[in-house]
Amino acid sequence: MSTLKQAQTQSRYDDLFARLKQEKRHALIPFTLLGWPTPQRCLESVDAFVAGGASALELGLAFSDPVADGPLIQQAGRTVLEAGFDVDQTLGLLKQIRQKYPHIPISLLVYYNLVLVRGIDRFCRDITEAGADGLLIADLPVEGIAEIKPALDQHGLQLTSIISTRTSAERLPKIAAQSGGFLYAVSRLGITGVEERYDQSLGHLLAQARQCSDLPVCVGFGISKREHVETMIRLGADGVIVGSAVMAKIQELGPEDSIEPIQRYLQTLSTPIIP
Amino acid sequence: MQSLGFFGSFGGVYVPELLVPALEEVESAFLEASQDADFLKEYHHLLKHYAGRPTPLYEAKNLSKRYGARIFLKREDLLHGGAHKTNNAIGQALLAKRMGKTRIIAETGAGQHGVATAMAGALLGIPTEIYMGAVDMERQQPNVFRMKLLGATVHAVEVGSKTLKDAINEAMRDWVSNLQDTYYLLGTAAGPHPYPTLVRFFQQIIGEEAHQQILEQAGRLPDQVVACVGGGSNAIGIFQGFRNSSVQLVGVEPAGLGLETEHHGAVLAKGTPGCLHGMKSLALQDKDGQVRETYSISAGLDYPLVGPEHAHLQNTGEAVYASATDAEALAAFHTLAETEGILPALESCHALAYAQTLAVQGTPEQIILINLSGRGDKDLHQVMAQQEGAPHVHA
Repeated sequence: MSTLKQAQTQSRYDDLFARLKQEKRHALIPFTLLGWPTPQRCLESVDAFVAGGASALELGLAFSDPVADGPLIQQAGRTVLEAGFDVDQTLGLLKQIRQKYPHIPISLLVYYNLVLVRGIDRFCRDITEAGADGLLIADLPVEGIAEIKPALDQHGLQLTSIISTRTSAERLPKIAAQSGGFLYAVSRLGITGVEERYDQSLGHLLAQARQCSDLPVCVGFGISKREHVETMIRLGADGVIVGSAVMAKIQELGPEDSIEPIQRYLQTLSTPIIP
Repeated sequence: MQSLGFFGSFGGVYVPELLVPALEEVESAFLEASQDADFLKEYHHLLKHYAGRPTPLYEAKNLSKRYGARIFLKREDLLHGGAHKTNNAIGQALLAKRMGKTRIIAETGAGQHGVATAMAGALLGIPTEIYMGAVDMERQQPNVFRMKLLGATVHAVEVGSKTLKDAINEAMRDWVSNLQDTYYLLGTAAGPHPYPTLVRFFQQIIGEEAHQQILEQAGRLPDQVVACVGGGSNAIGIFQGFRNSSVQLVGVEPAGLGLETEHHGAVLAKGTPGCLHGMKSLALQDKDGQVRETYSISAGLDYPLVGPEHAHLQNTGEAVYASATDAEALAAFHTLAETEGILPALESCHALAYAQTLAVQGTPEQIILINLSGRGDKDLHQVMAQQEGAPHVHA
């Protein structure tokens, strides 16, 4: 069972990036919090993501103390938790998304405490059964990965790891060796948000990552416009992750509004870039 | 990292990848500095001539009579700044200077660490910014004013429970955005490695002095050393002088309105293993691992986690941990004021209150050494509110 599962999950990201390479396209990975602003609107957001050209999904589990996130995601998490939406319900929502979209790669962004308190093995089993392909743990650096590696392997989950321009040349291969799916390069130091700047040495980081790993590299933090996407692809990224910007657009919509503007917005970011 | 800073199964480095290089830099600078005679000379010079060390060890004879045991108070309340926090702030600010950092940030709950950091920043000429929960700013206004007078910028944190844990979250967010020039001066023996070890190093002076002083004054070691525990820096500092001896180490947590209620901050008594603020420790949290809001009359103890070394000491039995309620702490405040003419910080009152329980169980010859970690001027507003019958609550 676990071997079969492993084969299935690995193939979702591998297939995706192989196909994108052939088509000379970049990956567009939108992010939102599961259950936000309501479970129903969250499902509609995912529909808009897929219709807008999302190649994979990054979905977050709300946490009381998201130290790596900016004000928008902090507040969104609070909204979800104040509505009483717990981890079991979150996994129920994930299951619905997986049933509707059997082929799209899905990774969950979590804080480590949620994994530990549920129990590492149980957490990995539950999210796998709900349909996740992978996991990004915001506050688990490479030093701690050994704690969860056996459970990840057993359940066929891939671990997306973060790299930055401050990551040393010695650390980079260690991180890459523990990762699967893709590497998440942050465009700048700081927290999530739509602030428009990126580190000048980002191109160097992407080149270094290429040298020490075959994994695709996607860039996140501060990506909100077509020109940002073009810049990142020119610098050598295989794709982009768009979080706060797309959530800000969702927030602008009223509860009765159509979610179609989100789809149109994502289409502007997903259109192929001819090199 | 040269070490991951585990105390048994607690501690470690659990932070976003972006912070790891910064922690490596702090660890490396600390390891060098702690072996550097010139650095230690400057640190001890400032502790003596600027901060006023050694602080006295005072035998409180009136209180002893009231409690029925020999009570000694380690007077960290007489340290410049009014609390033990100055030891750590001066040590870390010197470290920041040595690392060439041009900006210091810190979090604060009761404001004492913020005041100590602002003092150290002013002293060493390093611009300082303090994060403080809006609820804590309201109940600790004199300290907010002090920080501003000392030239620090104080940022009100309006998210979450608006208390210490949210101030730490904001400070970490600031740090991750400004790693090149900023030093994060963490105030308690908690957080990711190397902070629990580093803060213990700068606070162990309390225990070293107390060990020597009690031998001089009483001719023997005490039966118990008692200290309040929020994050746990004053307790770890004084415990350090009495490790591996016959002395019983006792930490006292805030029981708030009672351990049977939801309104307390007794992490060692009621917490479960968790991971937040860069460390594995015990935490007050729900079934999913969402961190709970805590409660204590004392802002300095209002923290849903505890320093990892305390969680370890509890596991091994090297220290024992008890708790005192708001009402017991307040009663101890009045008792010390009336018997000895000392206004203690509400944090320290938790240790004072539990010392009475220990005294009742022992003999008049029993020696109890209490770490009076800070003075109570900052808490007068809280105490006055209680006198007037206004219930102490915060969201």
